[in-house]
This record gives sequence, C-alpha cells and structure tokens, in this order.
Amino acid sequence: MSLWKRACLYSIRKKGKTITLLAFLLVMATMMLTCLSIQAATETANANIKKALLGYFTINAKRLGSGISEDTVSQILAVDGLSGRHTLRSYSYAIYYDADRKPLEISTEGAAQVPEGYENAGKIVANSNSQEDSYFTDGGFELIEGNAITDASRNEALVHEKFAQRNGLAMGDFMLLGSVEDENRTRLVTVTGIFRNTREQDSIGIAPSCDLYENIVFTDLSTASFLLYGTNSKTSVQYGDFYVNDPDELDRIMAEVQEFPGVDWGNCILTRYDHDYQNAKESLKGLQSIVFIAIAVVSVICFLVLALFLTLRLRGRVHETGVYLAMGISKSSVLMQYLLEVFLAAALALLLAYGASTAISNQIGSGLLSQVTAQTYETVDLTGNIESMEEPTIDLGLSEIKVTVSARDFLIVCAFGMVLCIASTALAAYPIMKMKPKSILSQMS
Amino acid sequence: MNLGTRAVLYTVRKWKKTLLVFCLLLAITTLVLSGLAIADAQEKQAEEVRGTTGASFTVSRNTATGGWSSDGGGSYSTQEYLTTDRMESIAAINGIEGYNASIRTILCLSDRQGQWLEQMEPTGHAIVDCQFYSYGCINSKYHSLFLSGAMVMCEGKTIDSSVKNGIVISKDIADKHDLKVGDTIQAVNNPLSDDKTMNLEIVGLFEVVADKTDERNNYNESSYYEYTNNAFVSEAAMKKLLENYADVGYASADFFVTDPERLESIIHEVQKIHTIDWNNFLITANDEVYQNISNALSDTGTLITTLIAVITAVSMVLIILILSMSVRGRKRETGILLAAGISKPTVVLQYVLETLLIAAAAFPLAYLSSRQAAGILGTLFGKTAENVVVTSQHFTLTATVGSVLLIASVLVSCIPVMRLKPKTILSQME
Repeated sequence: MSLWKRACLYSIRKKGKTITLLAFLLVMATMMLTCLSIQAATETANANIKKALLGYFTINAKRLGSGISEDTVSQILAVDGLSGRHTLRSYSYAIYYDADRKPLEISTEGAAQVPEGYENAGKIVANSNSQEDSYFTDGGFELIEGNAITDASRNEALVHEKFAQRNGLAMGDFMLLGSVEDENRTRLVTVTGIFRNTREQDSIGIAPSCDLYENIVFTDLSTASFLLYGTNSKTSVQYGDFYVNDPDELDRIMAEVQEFPGVDWGNCILTRYDHDYQNAKESLKGLQSIVFIAIAVVSVICFLVLALFLTLRLRGRVHETGVYLAMGISKSSVLMQYLLEVFLAAALALLLAYGASTAISNQIGSGLLSQVTAQTYETVDLTGNIESMEEPTIDLGLSEIKVTVSARDFLIVCAFGMVLCIASTALAAYPIMKMKPKSILSQMS
Repeated sequence: MNLGTRAVLYTVRKWKKTLLVFCLLLAITTLVLSGLAIADAQEKQAEEVRGTTGASFTVSRNTATGGWSSDGGGSYSTQEYLTTDRMESIAAINGIEGYNASIRTILCLSDRQGQWLEQMEPTGHAIVDCQFYSYGCINSKYHSLFLSGAMVMCEGKTIDSSVKNGIVISKDIADKHDLKVGDTIQAVNNPLSDDKTMNLEIVGLFEVVADKTDERNNYNESSYYEYTNNAFVSEAAMKKLLENYADVGYASADFFVTDPERLESIIHEVQKIHTIDWNNFLITANDEVYQNISNALSDTGTLITTLIAVITAVSMVLIILILSMSVRGRKRETGILLAAGISKPTVVLQYVLETLLIAAAAFPLAYLSSRQAAGILGTLFGKTAENVVVTSQHFTLTATVGSVLLIASVLVSCIPVMRLKPKTILSQME
C-alpha cells in the first residue's frame, strides 16, 4: 500500500479525528487571517487620523512681484503626499466705487487715521473659500445673506451690512473695485453676499480706516489677482496653504516644493503647521503599538497551541506506529504518512479559512463608521445658549477603511502554517520513532 | 476506588498527556487574558488620543442680548462680564481640566534699572519701542497663541494662578537684552500716568513658530504687534498693574475638558449653574480637531475590540476541540470502566474532575504568566504597554467562563460514548 493511499484511507476511516484536526486548523487559520486583515485596517484608520489632524504648510509669497502662479499651484498639488485640500489667499486694498464710478462712502468712526489715498478704500480679502478665512473662523464674522465665495466665483464681492446700508447696496447690485496704485485698474463685481461681525473689533483706535470691519470686502481670487498683479486670464495668489496626508512627511514635501524652478523661493516664507498632530503623535503611536502587541501575542500563542495540539494528536497513535513498524514499513515512510495527513487537512483548512475570514472581515468592515455612508450626526439641543454648531462637516477626503484578507497575508499564513505543521509533527514523532517496535508495543497501556 | 482517587491517579499516570493539555489550557488562557488586557489598554490609549485634541468650550458675553452704548471711541456693549466667581463655579464641574481668560493691555517693560527694553525692530521712538502687547492670563498654557501652535514654550514654565508676579516673554527679546529665566524686570501700564510699576520675574520664554507676516493673522488688535513683542503676565500682577482702572472681569473664558467625548454633557451641566444668568452669556463648543478624527479613532477602537472578540471566540472553540479529542481517545477505557460496573455519571464526573484538576493549575499560572508577559511587553514598547495590565477582574471572568466551558465540553464530548453499551464499545475497538 502506498504512502498516499494509507494517508487518505486513514483520514477517511478516522472521520472524527480528521474532522477535529480540520476544524482546529480551520479555526486557527481563520483567526490569523482575520487578525492580519484587522491589523491592515487599523493602519488605514491610523493614516486617516493623521490626515484628519490636518497638517499643512503655508507658502507666503507676498514679497514676490507676481505671487504664486496657477501653474506653480498645480505643480505643488501634484507632489506625492498632498491630500489635495488647499486654501489660496490674497490680501490687498481697493478703492470702492459704485457702478457709475462714484466713490462709495466708508466708515471712519474709531479709526486711528484715514491714510491719504484711502479715503474711499478698504481691505480686500480673497480666499478660495471665504468661510475659511480667519475673519470668519476666528474674528466672529458671519454671512447673513447670500453665499460664500469659492474657487469657482468670478467678479463677486461680500460686503458688511453697515457698508451696504450706508451706500444703499443690496444683493445683486454692482460695484467697482479699483486698485489703489493704478486708478485705471478697476473691476466690476456683483454683491453676492452680506456679512456682519458678531464680536466688537478690538483694534478700534489703533487700526486705520481701511482695516475697520465695516470697510472690508471679500472677493474672489481672480479679482484680487487682477487688482494686485494685473493678471487677466490667469490667477496668481499671495498665500497658499497645502494640506498633506501624513504630517510626518511635511519636511520632505516642503523641501521638494522648494526645488520647483521659476519661483524665487528665497523671498518666500514656508511655515509648517502640524501642532495638532504633534500633540497627538505619541498617543497615536501608542494606539498603533497596541494593535501590534495584540497581533504578536496572538501569533505566538497560536503557533504554540498548534504545535501542542499536533503533539497531543500524535501521542494517541503510539500503538499504531508500533504496528506499522512491526509490519516493516520504514520509519521515514510512517513519518511521511503522518505529515501527509496533516498536510491534506491543512490545505483544505487554509482554503476554507480564506473564505471564512473574508466573510468575517466583510462583516467587521460594514460595522465601521467610515463605511457608513449616510452619516447621522447627533444634533445638540441648542435651545437657548449654546451657539449653533451647525458648521457643515468638512469632507476630509479620508480613505474608506477596508477590512480584507490580502493575498500577501494569506500566503504568509499558508507558509508559516505549513512549516509549523510539519515541524511540530516531526518533533512529536521523534520520540516515538526512536523506539523499537517491540518496546512501543510492549509499553502500551 | 473512589472517584477522586481515580481522577488523580489517571492524571499522574498519564503525566505526559496531562502536561500537554495543561500547556494548551495555559496558552489559551494566557491568550484570552492578554486579549482582555489589550482591549482595556486600547480604551485608555484612545482616551489619551482624544485628550490631546484640546477640546474646549468658550463662555462669552452675549452682546446680542445686552445693551449698547457709545462714546467717542465707537459703540460698545454694556453686557455684564465674567467674574472670577462665575468662572470658578464653571471650572468646578467634573471633567474640566483647566481654563483660561485673559485681559489684554499694552505694557511698557524695563529692566531692573528702569532702562526701557527695546522691541525687536525698534521704530526709534523710545515711548513706542518699549511697548509690549501683554496678556494677563489665568493659565497661559491654554492661551490660544500657544494652543494654535503659533508659539511654543522653550524655557521655564507657563503662567498659572500659583505664579503671583511672573511674566513670560519671547526668547528673542530675552536674548537681545541678556535676560534669562529667573531674572526680574519691571512693567508699567502707562508710564505717563501714576500707574503702578511692578517687579516681575521672568518665569518662562517662548519661541515664535507661526509666520507673523501672514496676513491671515491680521484680523484683530494683536496683529499690530509682532509675536516676539508679546508678553504673558500673571493675573494677580496684571490686576495690580491696572488697579487705576475699573476691574470689569473677562469678556470670555475658555474651559478645557479632559475627554472631548464628554464635552456635550459637560456643557449641559454648565448650563444648569443657576448663579449665572445664561441669558447674558453664550457657550460655544470648540472641538473641531476631535470631530475630525473621531470617526477614524472609533473605527480603530471597533477594530481592536473585534480582534479581541475573535480571539476569545476562537479560544472557546479550541478548548472544546481539544477536550473532545482527549475524551474520544479514551473510548476503550470508558468501556472497561463501565464493564467494571462503574455508573455512567461517575465516569463522566471523573473526566470532568480530571479536566478541572488541570485547569486549577493552568488558570492561576496563566494569570501569573500573562502578567509577566505584560511586564516584558512594557520594557519592549515603553509607556503604551504599561497600560496593558491583566487585572483580577479579567482573571475572575476568564476562570469562571473557562470552567463552565470546560465542564460543558467534557459533557458534550462524552455523549456519543455514553450512549453505547460497554459491550458495543469494547467490541468495536480496533
């Protein structure tokens, strides 16, 4: 009877034992595969946390005569590691006229002085999203009518409610923004929004008239670019904030950006902002190493249990071994038979485990928040005193956390599993094989 | 021979097999115990991560419900201010880590000899060049300039209420004037009036990180001063410096919570403080950073918890498999015992007893070995792994569930053998 046949026949004859072995290997392999897929998923989750902590760097190109050009911006955005989220900003002063080029009246109450040439001028703030400008986020401005200015806006302006009242401006009215230096450089804009300040200006008495809250106008980047640099078709900006996926990479990315030709980087100021990440960094690492510890503990004990189990199984076959040896079957072929039995069971178990762990992983994945598409946010009871927290949730572009059994993990588990099966069977068989058939059969209980 | 003796004798006689089962039980129990400890550590660690996001809420005067008045300097609100009593009653609520409120003024700083300290980039007018934009702080580490990362402390300590006459200035200014932590300088609000001049000890120095020339920062009064020309003064000293002016209190204060998850409930608690007229104050929650990461963070938590659940479930299955295998291997023995006239329940009880004997040794040892393992992990992974602690609750839970599981699986494994007659068992043997 050949080795193969014996192994197959044994496996079929001893159904109970074979099933126990199969179940054991299946459970072990499924657990290992699931653990590995969970570990890979926590890595994604960790990367998401890093990304959500919003590390970014700012390029201050105010001192450059032509700012940061559109081309440079797209070049920077193409750098590996940038999340794509970015804010472009420009600041300037402009003289305000109505559509007929009659100067509009500004507020001078509380101004430290009215600079010469700025009698009808005010501060112009352009942002790729006016809601994210510091006046709105930190200064307490709020839009009471109309829409915020975005990347797509062209020739639009947001004005203060008092400024609108004073000059009889309403939504949809036109006004002219004129450069302070070059009076021929004017642009017609539409009032698309009206804002107010919810907090008092604390620089009353220090600020010049053009910096007073009431005299600020928010506009789009293209208009600001025209007023600042005289560009018409292309838009250049003074400042850019570029967000990265992994704040740890900020230094590398900033160094890479500063090698782009065509920009006088020496006159730009690049600043990294990753304070939130630096705060959380240590604790985050801790969280990640907890996952690692868990996987390490599971792997070690798993292998230990597997080895013990196989040993236990083989010890039950001492009698059988003695009979085989007495029949004249060589020790090596008996060992091979045992190995083959385990091998057959292991091959089947691993295949099944792949299916089982994939199913389990999908189940785990569907329970994760990142995969819940229709996110329901708990709304706080705002009756009375808590100021509305209804800020639209920003899409941070986080990756979906997928819990899947990768081919790589499967191969690792297969390889380690097989090696271990063979090693522990061989090891367990060693003391039995050392004995003579006679002593084996005689020592039986 | 009675049941107990038989069980002990079997265990001793088959010591190799006993040892194997013992090792298996030990390994699996250690796995479950470590799993439970890791799950707990994860929770602690996640809480720590949440804590680093610096969630807070701001209580500020509600200028919309108060009256307005105006004078030559423009219009101003007549709404009441936050007093020390009010802030303390809020800070007393459990879960609030600390709070800060600040008064801003422009102080003229001089060295001990009364020589004015010059700003970084002086204009040439002595009276302007010694002006520093100063904040009287209750707790300067919570000041928005430090929290936003615009500045970081590089030497000494921050200002809190335990510091009576302290000042924190920029490293640049300190270097320019050869000052260091521990030195004393003088400050006065308005040198041209009879305002008090005070000696202040430099308790710390800060470094500027943010780009002050970025116009994004130019939305308020402080933007007219370079960050290097900022100073932070203890609240008590600031009150003395400004004793010629009416002490109105604070326009707003920021309260920082330990765990952002509790921010909402803490705010609700704050609103129940009836000594404060909440019609006059607004509460704003600031937990943007936490909101951004909360989903990803709770996903990590879910993943680790699932991992532990999988481990525990698998361990249970393994125990059942191992015991059923060991009972099945004793079919012949069962037959002989039954033929010897020993009742079926007694035989089953003997098997249960043998298993429990092994478990009684394996469980406590697993407790010790997993604690030992946690210690080794502690040295390998440092602080994090120190959180991985196997507690006695974990042990009690594992031991109880484990014992029940062991008994159940022995009973279940015995069913097929026990259904047979001794004759059938002995005749069907190979």
